[in-house]
Amino acid sequence: MTLLDFARGPAIHASLIILVAGILLRLVGVLMLTRGADLSRPRDAFGNFKGYRTVLSRAWPASEFNAATVYQTVMAYIFHIATLLVVVGIVPHIEFITSLTGVSWPGLPNFIGVALGTIALVSLLALIARRLMHPAIYNSTVGDYVTWIIVALPLVTGLMAFAHVGLRYETMLALHILSSALLFAYLPFSKLMHAFWFVFSRAQSGLAYAHKGVRI
Amino acid sequence: MSATATTQVFPSFAEVYQGLAGQIGMLRQMAPQPTKTEQKRLQGAVDTLIADTNADEAVWLESCIHCGQCTTACHYFQSMQDAKYAPMRKMDLYRRVYQREISPMRWWHRLVTKPVKLSDFEEAKELIYDSCTECGRCTMVCPMGIDTASLVHHMRSAMVAAELVPPELAALRMEQKHQGTVFGSSPDKLKEMIDTIRAQAGVEIPLDKESAEVMVLSSAVDLVANGNGLLATAKIMNHLGVDWTICSDGFESANFGLLSGDMTLWKQQADPIVAAAQRVKAKTVVIAECGHAYPALRWNPMLRSGELPFQMMYMSEFLGKQAKAGKLRLKPLEQKVTFHDPCKTGRRGGAFEEPRAVLKAMGADLVEMPNNKEYNWCCGGGAGIFLLQDATELRDQSFKIKIREVNETGAESVVVSCASCRLNFESGRQKNNWDKRVESLVELTAAHLIDDDASAAAASKTGAAQ
Repeated sequence: MTLLDFARGPAIHASLIILVAGILLRLVGVLMLTRGADLSRPRDAFGNFKGYRTVLSRAWPASEFNAATVYQTVMAYIFHIATLLVVVGIVPHIEFITSLTGVSWPGLPNFIGVALGTIALVSLLALIARRLMHPAIYNSTVGDYVTWIIVALPLVTGLMAFAHVGLRYETMLALHILSSALLFAYLPFSKLMHAFWFVFSRAQSGLAYAHKGVRI
Repeated sequence: MSATATTQVFPSFAEVYQGLAGQIGMLRQMAPQPTKTEQKRLQGAVDTLIADTNADEAVWLESCIHCGQCTTACHYFQSMQDAKYAPMRKMDLYRRVYQREISPMRWWHRLVTKPVKLSDFEEAKELIYDSCTECGRCTMVCPMGIDTASLVHHMRSAMVAAELVPPELAALRMEQKHQGTVFGSSPDKLKEMIDTIRAQAGVEIPLDKESAEVMVLSSAVDLVANGNGLLATAKIMNHLGVDWTICSDGFESANFGLLSGDMTLWKQQADPIVAAAQRVKAKTVVIAECGHAYPALRWNPMLRSGELPFQMMYMSEFLGKQAKAGKLRLKPLEQKVTFHDPCKTGRRGGAFEEPRAVLKAMGADLVEMPNNKEYNWCCGGGAGIFLLQDATELRDQSFKIKIREVNETGAESVVVSCASCRLNFESGRQKNNWDKRVESLVELTAAHLIDDDASAAAASKTGAAQ
């Protein structure tokens, strides 16, 4: 079995199983805890549901915080959108998803895929640069840097494989798949779980404040 | 300095502040020492966090991505620029306990992390008390919407079990727990104050009526220092002609159970108020201008207020409702003013419109601060922090944000509606030789009441009265 066979076969499949099982373990383990009831009388008897709008409204910070947050927010958006488009948009990724699920869709032209991958990587560098330049604001932990590296690796190796830079193509591709497998396996046990938590976290706060008639 | 302190019965608020500062200085000597073994204190803290953690807390603890947005929203971080004051750090210890004890990954965290020690709680003390007013501004910017303030509140409960409450809060907690008073504000003191007000200001306060529509609470600051607060409240109630009373067995708004994190004491204080209100068949309980009394009573999640036969409202809400209904006849306030929303009644309480309605009823030229209502900067004195000597620098530095915000409005006065905010503003005003007046909403309202018909007619011609 070559390294590429290993990466394409057992490695990526095992990582996907860990990904799904890990996400379920953490989501179910937390969400099955009891909910504390707020017994106080709501400001508006039917107003609490308005809290759910925080799930969407918190997608962008309020103007009061613009100056302090705009760099981080813009870079984070660029990173998330570019990465998502690369993950589901380029032909080799679609072929992999098709091999697992049978579902397929048209891919992006190669040059757009490369451009998006580069944009994602640059925005990720822009984010780590600010994190390193303003240590007081971020309070970074080892986990923050490990997560950054694990997220950056598939982007770097993917771009290198595509551009035929570095090691032999098959080796670069294997490294790309292995680093993606690492990312999948790592996600449920890291802060990358925010991909799921944000909905619950925002909704909870939105409801708690809406109970008092406050829109957050 | 205060325009509302025109009556000579009681000292001005500037003097009140100085007198109270002296009393606060003595609290440190009265603080109780830990009584339990270190092992029991640690276990108590951990058990408290385990008991307090529901799905809400777990989700919030899981959600933080260390993005740094909250740091810029916190007045203590902004003014100190020190990493340790970042709001996200304030839940680090809670998260460690959560990860080892409750998280679905606890088996893993127990393998790779060290057990939490009592010294960890000792180190967290500054973050949990001195540098967090539980104002909630960080929640407004957090992309995950994490409610750091409620996590800090649970940490305060853990600190009570760990016997790590700061000396000033610990002393007042013990006084309220064992004597039922704050700074000696006993029922006798209340009666004495009511007698003084009757004798010297000629204002009647109906104490312990058998039944009344409105039950009014007072606060320790009113009773032992600022008599003008209670006097103003009485003038307004009498002006409105409402059927009101103060109950000597349930009048104290201040709740050092909530402030220190001792929820058993919180209940011990809240229950008599609820019982008194039910006994006098009150329809409304008015909470004195004492910011944290609002979450202690009106919004406490453990108080089943939906089923109570009365509604609870903050003084500013009560005044606002009366102003909106046109029941307050007020002389014009020909001034540019700004209003400071106390965190407990504003962002974490939702009473935004009512205090503004009172100022509008006086025809005041109300100018909002650049960050107002939900986004208001905390004055830095809430959640008991005004009392803490160790937090002096944090308070003084962060108050400069408030000075800047108020100065930007060009207002002559800043109106507050919370005794803690007011004391902190007064402290900041004196320390910085600030040229603004600091007014309390209830005292300002009382000073502008129109109680004779002639001036009422004159005022209504100018359109100032409602």
